[in-house]
Amino acid sequence: MRIVTVDPHSCVACRNCEYACAFRHTGDFDRKDSRIRVNFYPEAVVCIPWTCVHCSDAWCMEICPADAISRNEETGAVEIDSRRCAGCKMCMLACPSGNIHFNPRDHISEKCDLCGGDPNCVKFCTSGALNFEEEEEAYTSSREAFDSRIKRLLAEERRKNG
Amino acid sequence: MAEQQAEQRIIQTLCRMCDDRCAINVYLEEGRLVDIDGFKPHPWNRGRLCVKARAAVDMVYHPDRILKPLKKVNGKFTEISLDRALDEIAEKLLAIRDQYGERSISAWKGEAIGFAQEENMVRRFLHAFGTPNYFSNDSQCYNGRYFGYRLVEGVWPVPDYENADCICLWGANPPHAHPNMTQMIMRARKKGARLIVVDPRLSAVARQADIHAAVRPGTDGALVWGIIHLLIKEKMYDMDFVENHTTGFAKFSAYSQMFTPDYVEAETGVAAGTVRDIASTMGKRAPKVAIYMGNGPEHHENGINNIRAVACLDGLLGAVDVKGGNRVSEGIDKNILTLYDEIPLKHLEPIGADRFPVLYDFRQECHTMTAMNTMLSGDPYPLRAMILTAANPVMTNPNTQKVKKAFESLDLFVVRDLFMTETAKTADYVLPAASFLERTEVHYHAICQTVTLARKILSFPDCTDEYTFWHDLAHRIGIGNWFPWKDEPELTEWILEPAGITLKDLEAHPEGIQYKPIRYKKWEEKGFTTPSGKLEFASRYLKDLGYEELPEYKPPAYHTDPDPEYPFVLITGARKLVYYHSRFHNIKRFRTAIPGPEVEMHPSDAEKKGILDGDAVTITSRIGSIEIPVKIMAPNEILPGNLQITHGWKEANVNFITHDDRFDPISGFPLMKAVEVKLEKRSG
Repeated sequence: MRIVTVDPHSCVACRNCEYACAFRHTGDFDRKDSRIRVNFYPEAVVCIPWTCVHCSDAWCMEICPADAISRNEETGAVEIDSRRCAGCKMCMLACPSGNIHFNPRDHISEKCDLCGGDPNCVKFCTSGALNFEEEEEAYTSSREAFDSRIKRLLAEERRKNG
Repeated sequence: MAEQQAEQRIIQTLCRMCDDRCAINVYLEEGRLVDIDGFKPHPWNRGRLCVKARAAVDMVYHPDRILKPLKKVNGKFTEISLDRALDEIAEKLLAIRDQYGERSISAWKGEAIGFAQEENMVRRFLHAFGTPNYFSNDSQCYNGRYFGYRLVEGVWPVPDYENADCICLWGANPPHAHPNMTQMIMRARKKGARLIVVDPRLSAVARQADIHAAVRPGTDGALVWGIIHLLIKEKMYDMDFVENHTTGFAKFSAYSQMFTPDYVEAETGVAAGTVRDIASTMGKRAPKVAIYMGNGPEHHENGINNIRAVACLDGLLGAVDVKGGNRVSEGIDKNILTLYDEIPLKHLEPIGADRFPVLYDFRQECHTMTAMNTMLSGDPYPLRAMILTAANPVMTNPNTQKVKKAFESLDLFVVRDLFMTETAKTADYVLPAASFLERTEVHYHAICQTVTLARKILSFPDCTDEYTFWHDLAHRIGIGNWFPWKDEPELTEWILEPAGITLKDLEAHPEGIQYKPIRYKKWEEKGFTTPSGKLEFASRYLKDLGYEELPEYKPPAYHTDPDPEYPFVLITGARKLVYYHSRFHNIKRFRTAIPGPEVEMHPSDAEKKGILDGDAVTITSRIGSIEIPVKIMAPNEILPGNLQITHGWKEANVNFITHDDRFDPISGFPLMKAVEVKLEKRSG
């Protein structure tokens, strides 16, 4: 399946994705309504965009007592049915990555639904830090990126020593 | 409820909510615009957009949109027919001409409706009529950088981001100002390019910088001379290029010697080690060093020389017009609308051309700040009428108070715009204008060397496009022969004739047509388009005009001669993602995102003054005061002693406190990024 992948080495915390997500789901630009969240830590100068990866073994789905969470067969997205959600926050506790958010207006949990297969956050990501790609490809490309970083570091190290 | 299948169409065009011009899909239902997203096949933005693009839907149908011509009668606007308005305007223009001469009439090209052909249409109209007085925001934006580079290289090249090994952004913050550049920069970084950001603030893009040099505002020249000094001293420069393709190197090299890393640290606040890091990163990665100059450095008293010195780096690094460096983009072959050869009017003393000769020589641009004085004083001659399209100088020029007075003093002030701006409020006539979705024109992306059609998607009855307006007015005042084309599409066809590209071709290629292949090292055959034909480290042209031959460094006055009464240095004009200068503050959800103006402040300064985040303060310069809430930044986001206010807010218009009487001597640019102010907590 295709998921939204995030690259903290390209993100500048410009907030386009958060506005685009909030707009898609509420028609407004309140970042608190966004299902993708970007944290910028000025003291470390680090930007971390983070959103649901739609785990193949989704704990949120397992734990939900209201049976409100299911997998969309078409897109593979793990989705919350807002009509069934009782607002108990069990899914939020279960999620290992903190990607389920509580909506205090409607007393329900909310999470990424991949916008039905065309995620708005990716379309409005101007840095290229977000991509909508096949899981397998994402793993391969992050493996390649990791390799090239290590390769460069080792080469630099060797140059320094020799 | 039965769902009806609405007629849906998708058309490709370009977004003009800012100047990036990203390719978009426009979704129409029953002829009504309902959605916008990115158009993937265009090489410029590859389908990615910023959130401003989608808001074009709101802008076009905004309830405050001006849809009928308005005339001010006894201080109040009343509706008038378009024909009648144009008749009256024509009659008044002719009467003013008869009384004061052609040059008492002027025009100002704005940007809120898009500006490709429009600029040259205005210039054509003015020269056909017999006045040289063309104004735009370019007497405080863009031209400074253009001059800096043109003086050295003959052109302002484009950064070849995608192929660069080192990218240096100098006073530029693409994520908020030119969002689409961000993806190019980040793609290059993924391939191993190092990113250097020079900016007093930790801007959005600086969050990914490998090296962030937080220079004191306006001391950029000392930093770049420090880099030059090290490159020369360590023999890390391209000796072959310098020897064969440049002039003035001996003087240039001699002048650089005083800029030791320690001197640079004392002057700029950038650590000596960082200066060395930047020089060695550039030196090692040369010639694939792409440098993009932003608007920051051009708003200082030594702005152009500082920018010239940065441009000189291209010469030292051999980075001019090479892959991964700064490429000289080739233009399309086209017919030109301006009449500077047919009807030269320099003898009529274009406003500001005597004070700032480079501004007129290089760009035939008149100086807006001088114009305000001329309107009010009649010196050196009366300037009595102006037709302004979609600019908002009351919000964006320095010294708002004076700008307002100057416009109000005119015998005829016509504004064309989408909304009743603060500037439009001072006009005698306000005419509705077509937005970028209501007209046909072509745009060029210099980085891709493509031409793309921006299409008319919809229209409103009285909202005329640019060409129709100038055409109809020209025909009323006896210069209709210069505007023979029937409409905008016909004009566009004429412009493109020499390129052998038709509107039909462009309609078939919404992804754009590359009009010339990308080529590098064109200087090998043609040399440079400077007076000497070489890259100029020293400029004879400037020397003859009485300026320094070398891009010498002069420290900012706030630094050498501080005014104890105004201890803070205020930077104005840092961009915010959802707003574009004074535009889009009327889009509701943008207000949710960024609700209001703020002054950004260092936590140590706030603490000293007992100010908490959100407190209201009064900020005062020698000419005025504004009240504004404080935003306390992280300690590394802004320098102590600096403040930053973004322009464009009616609620706290920073230009009430910016100065219109001190300039960069070459460009005539105002010092918008070093305003000496004081700050007091508002009592009560």
